[in-house]
Amino acid sequence: MTEALGRLVAKGVCKSFGSLPVLDGIDLDVSAGRTLALLGPSGCGKSTLLRVMAGFESFDAGTVTVDGEPVTGPSPTRGMVAQAGTLFPWLTVRQNVGFGPRDRGDRQAAETVTELLAATGLSDFADALPRQLSGGMRQRAAIAQVLANRPPLLLLDEPFGALDAQTRLRMHEWVRGLLAERPTTTVLVTHDVDEALLLGDQLGLLSARPAKVVALRDVPFGSDRGRHTLADPAFVSLKAGVLNEVLEAS
Amino acid sequence: MSDTLAGVAAPMGVVVTPATAARRGRRRPRRLLGLIVPLLVLVCWQLAWQWELKPRTIIPSPHEVLTAADAFFFGERVAGLSGVVYFKGAGWSHLATSLGRCGQAWVVAVVVGVVLGLGLGLSRWVADLLDPFTNALRAVPLFAWLPLAAVWFGVNPTSGKILIFIGALWPVLVATTDSVARVPAAQIEAARMLGTPRSRLWRRVYLPSALPEIVTGLRLSLTLAWTCVIIGELGGTTDGVGAMMNAAREAGRTEQIIVGILVFAVIGFAADRLLRLLSRRFVSWSDT
Ligand SMILES: Nc1ncnc2c1ncn2[C@@H]1O[C@H](COP(=O)(O)OP(=O)(O)O)[C@@H](O)[C@H]1O
Ligand SMILES: [Mg+2]
Repeated sequence: MTEALGRLVAKGVCKSFGSLPVLDGIDLDVSAGRTLALLGPSGCGKSTLLRVMAGFESFDAGTVTVDGEPVTGPSPTRGMVAQAGTLFPWLTVRQNVGFGPRDRGDRQAAETVTELLAATGLSDFADALPRQLSGGMRQRAAIAQVLANRPPLLLLDEPFGALDAQTRLRMHEWVRGLLAERPTTTVLVTHDVDEALLLGDQLGLLSARPAKVVALRDVPFGSDRGRHTLADPAFVSLKAGVLNEVLEAS
Repeated sequence: MSDTLAGVAAPMGVVVTPATAARRGRRRPRRLLGLIVPLLVLVCWQLAWQWELKPRTIIPSPHEVLTAADAFFFGERVAGLSGVVYFKGAGWSHLATSLGRCGQAWVVAVVVGVVLGLGLGLSRWVADLLDPFTNALRAVPLFAWLPLAAVWFGVNPTSGKILIFIGALWPVLVATTDSVARVPAAQIEAARMLGTPRSRLWRRVYLPSALPEIVTGLRLSLTLAWTCVIIGELGGTTDGVGAMMNAAREAGRTEQIIVGILVFAVIGFAADRLLRLLSRRFVSWSDT
């Protein structure tokens, strides 16, 4: 593995929509290769924060940098999976996953895509259209689409929010495996405490709108997290504590 | 991963839901239902001829029309006194001429409509520049162009092509402009994030995303184009189905006029079906 890239630093990021303040001085520092899970009440500005990091949204004050480079617009080095998914309905799964590599003139596009389709369990559905996929498959394809560019930074906006509990748990285990093989700095936005504790190396709590970071802590679990972790007494008590904090923050 | 197979019938092809299956099953009797009215018309027609409600030169029998149609397409072509034979055996050549005129003007209208529509839908600047102008022109009834075209070019196929072009242009232009303007911002953002250069967005996202609606516009415009082709054939030419019908009128051959009408009906219907089939094939990802 080459030296890990993708250190994300946000300093004092503020953003309002007209007279509605949404982000209120966000400070974050995610080391390369780590996963930050951001928990916050709905409507607090989580999606807005991710869109700022992706370069889709301008902001009023503060700085956002990746490996020292300021974020000024969308870039294939910052892959974002939007809340509603971003597959192009007229392209097959294979064409969707290969979309970025193709447009960037990546010579190894075909290999990358085949490998990612295998890693996402979608090899048999390579020629299917997005509407023919189940919800879980669609989200896996959307993540594969973004990872095909090998971005140092991955931004996930409630990627599994629309899935049923069992599928979501399976997706958590799958994402862990996927990211273990491809060290990628990840910011995961969610309102699901289980998801945050299963996937995050770090946990950030956001306040109600306008969003501030009210707590930032390490998650004391190793890389072998999975469904068995849910029954771990340490996990259960941590979850209860976090849930309490979330409820107080909102 | 056990959800891999959930809810999907096959990796390729359309998922057949009970609803579509039921609809398919019901379509057959419905189609037969569609035959009732034409049959009724045919019976009334035959009776009108038999009882001679009007002179037989004005209402020919269905059988006469059928014989004429057969002669039109399959009769042996012979040179007449003037060297121009407009009917017997001339069917395919008249049809090819009309199709060619219609096709030419339609293709030009489609290209201009799609390109202009992309410009209007993609660029605020182009829209501000052209919108008032195109909207004013669009408000002119199609046949109001006819006198002007007749003065400039005469009543002939050139005027006809211009009318086809104008008539076919608007549905394509409007469909393209509207659908391009409605492309979800999320799709554009996704492409930008994945690395598509701005200059390629129209080809990678705008056009494919808008295609189903554009194809609907194409179908509408083709129907209109086929409607307009006859206008240019009412003068200045001896070729084309319309010219044949005009000559038949002068010769007082009602059955030949009716053959022309039937040709227009069949070809118009078939062209729309063909385009619908093609659109199903190429924009099958949208549910229309
Ligand atoms: N483009 C926008 N224009 C105006 N207000 C917006 C826009 N996007 C989001 N908002 C508002 O900003 C707030 C935060 O939205 P969002 O970031 O989507 O919250 P979350 O993802 O945490 O649920 C909401 O009150 C929302 O209405
Ligand atoms: Mg959100």
